[in-house]
Amino acid sequence: MREKNEAGEPRDNGRDQLLVIPGEDLGDSQGLEPGHGVMEVNGRIKALKQGMMRKNGSYISVEPIHTRYFPRPSDLVIGYIEGCTNNIWFVDIGAPFNAILPMSLGPGKAEFGGTRSIMDVGDAILCRVQEVEETHSSVVTMKGMGLRKIRSGTIEELDPHLLGRLIGKGGDSLRRLKEATQCRIVVADNGRMWVDGDLSGILKVRDKVQSLSNNPAVQKGGRN
Amino acid sequence: MGGYGDVQMIDDKGLRMDGRGPGDLREITIETGVVPVADGSCRMTWGTNEAIVAVYGPMEAHPRKIQRQDRAVLDVHYNMAPFSTTDRMRPGFNRRSREISKVTKDALESVVLLELYPRSKIRISIEIISAEAGTRCVGLTAASVALADAGIPMTDMVVSVASGKINDVVVCDLNKEEDNYGEADLPMGILPNSGDLVFLQMDGDLSQEEFKQAWNYNMEASNAVHKQMIEALKGDANQ
Amino acid sequence: MTIPLVPNLLRAHLAELADNDSRIDGRDRWQGRETQVEVGVLPRAEGSARVQMGDTIVFAGVKFQVMQPYPDRPNEGGLMCSAEVRPIAGRNWETGPPSPESIELGRVVDRGIRESGCIDVKSLCIIPGEKAWQVILDLFAISDDGNLFDAFALAGIAALRSAVVPAERFEVGDDAPLGVSKTPIMCSYHKVGGRFVYDACHREELGGDERIHITLGDNGNVHSLQKGLKGIFSTEEFDEIMGHALSRTSELRDLIN
Repeated sequence: MREKNEAGEPRDNGRDQLLVIPGEDLGDSQGLEPGHGVMEVNGRIKALKQGMMRKNGSYISVEPIHTRYFPRPSDLVIGYIEGCTNNIWFVDIGAPFNAILPMSLGPGKAEFGGTRSIMDVGDAILCRVQEVEETHSSVVTMKGMGLRKIRSGTIEELDPHLLGRLIGKGGDSLRRLKEATQCRIVVADNGRMWVDGDLSGILKVRDKVQSLSNNPAVQKGGRN
Repeated sequence: MGGYGDVQMIDDKGLRMDGRGPGDLREITIETGVVPVADGSCRMTWGTNEAIVAVYGPMEAHPRKIQRQDRAVLDVHYNMAPFSTTDRMRPGFNRRSREISKVTKDALESVVLLELYPRSKIRISIEIISAEAGTRCVGLTAASVALADAGIPMTDMVVSVASGKINDVVVCDLNKEEDNYGEADLPMGILPNSGDLVFLQMDGDLSQEEFKQAWNYNMEASNAVHKQMIEALKGDANQ
Repeated sequence: MTIPLVPNLLRAHLAELADNDSRIDGRDRWQGRETQVEVGVLPRAEGSARVQMGDTIVFAGVKFQVMQPYPDRPNEGGLMCSAEVRPIAGRNWETGPPSPESIELGRVVDRGIRESGCIDVKSLCIIPGEKAWQVILDLFAISDDGNLFDAFALAGIAALRSAVVPAERFEVGDDAPLGVSKTPIMCSYHKVGGRFVYDACHREELGGDERIHITLGDNGNVHSLQKGLKGIFSTEEFDEIMGHALSRTSELRDLIN
């Protein structure tokens, strides 16, 4: 039974799992390295997000209940073409801002002005993050093994922080899912996965993804 | 502000028309996750005020012209639904709503870590479903809960309360009649962990002493509201 | 509203689901989502309702104003319906002047209620030629996961049926319930993957084609129809959905009354 005092401040009783909210004081910062979702202010660690506090050795962080994807170079991502100019496609990769795909990094050869004939608005693509600039806009590329326009199957979405549970230790859970459903499954890093196969198989994968989303580790929120 | 002291709103025992003492808050409830399609949301009732706030984002900032290269922008819309007031409010452009949208945005931009999401925007929709004085305070407070629910990083929550003066007595959390016939209104937006402010407005007539009293009422009240926010956001996770 | 991105894979997938008599959320073709109706939820309105259908949530509020009757109709009051879908309800809804989508929403729901004659505008007269009641029904969306039409229509009629005329506040008599003689109910059908389904969710609307809205009254009388968006449908298809509408409107009517 975890105790909390009247003001809801966490007590350090040696356990490392606790739901915290923005602004909450998490204790003295000495010897601790602030990670995701926390910051150090005047010798104290402060939570910045609502989520689970995690202490891993000296590394302290808050894992939010809903994570958002942040692109990093070499991430495999599934994107949707949102728009294009004569030589650039704008790609929605589920991040706070769109990525760009220059024609030179697109699939095959194309003439200037011919973007729509290759890939149009609404198409889904499997691509890789090439670079993330200083202003955090990202460039994706389709030059690479297995990168392509997705022509069949469906795209399922899952909160990025649940991907680990889907894949399992050493890829175990994912392997079993593929066998059970006879589907081709490609899990990207941005919380999206490409599922292709028989309709019944696709529906089984969808059920599995739903059950992971509906069964969060934390019962958050509530009436007051 | 009307108020020439001829409407008796507080008796000599210090009891207000709705039975509250001078420092008492109206009843508050807070719920999260009430707009299923949003990234974060909050429903707050405060007396007979009711606000529903939804947060979307961070997402690509459209139109291009509002985008900033170095940080996210907050797109805040405060609005009163037509059936929120005794006399119906016509939908459409409303100067008061525009002003409240702006000062609410200014308050929230002071706590959200905007630099983490350059070139994007976070949309905050504050809808007042039922109004009974203090709607800007309910809206701002509920918005901060909705932002937390959406996983947006903030240096602290924002608690907004208003105090004022009725029949020459300083009181906390004005209700509708007190706001209409009272002599002053002081809404504040407070960061509960530091006691710092991100929102401040005032109108009416307060002596320096009365002002200090109203200020302190707001500070005390914000602690009580903060406790409720914590309960709502944590649910029974920690028990 | 901004036109949302339609992932091209979605349409193909919806077609495959339709061929297999399935829907993207696992429902049957004619199955509606879980529906809840609550009345008396808005303290400042003279009548109100909140409807939730799946993740679609809307409010309806009834407000009364006193108006001067039109010169050519001195014994009649008025009924006005207004629908608002504000940005709170979804990523694709924007601020600004009412979009064509929300205008259509308001007008289709308005016709369904008005044309049923469930409110007798003559009964709204206070003093002939001088004063009459104007009944204003405001429909307000909180969360859009598809089929705002049916949610608005249901909330609207539920709010009207629970409304009380505020005669005392306007000093023209005693408060009394608003006279609503019927319960018109709307059912909406969306062509998804090549066939009509009932109560489309957001993704079905996104990847679907035309839609048809049918409002029926207490005896199955047809009060209003509307076909929206691009697409062609046959008489057989229409007969099929009318058949479903007859039974479903009855169920929803019982829910309200």
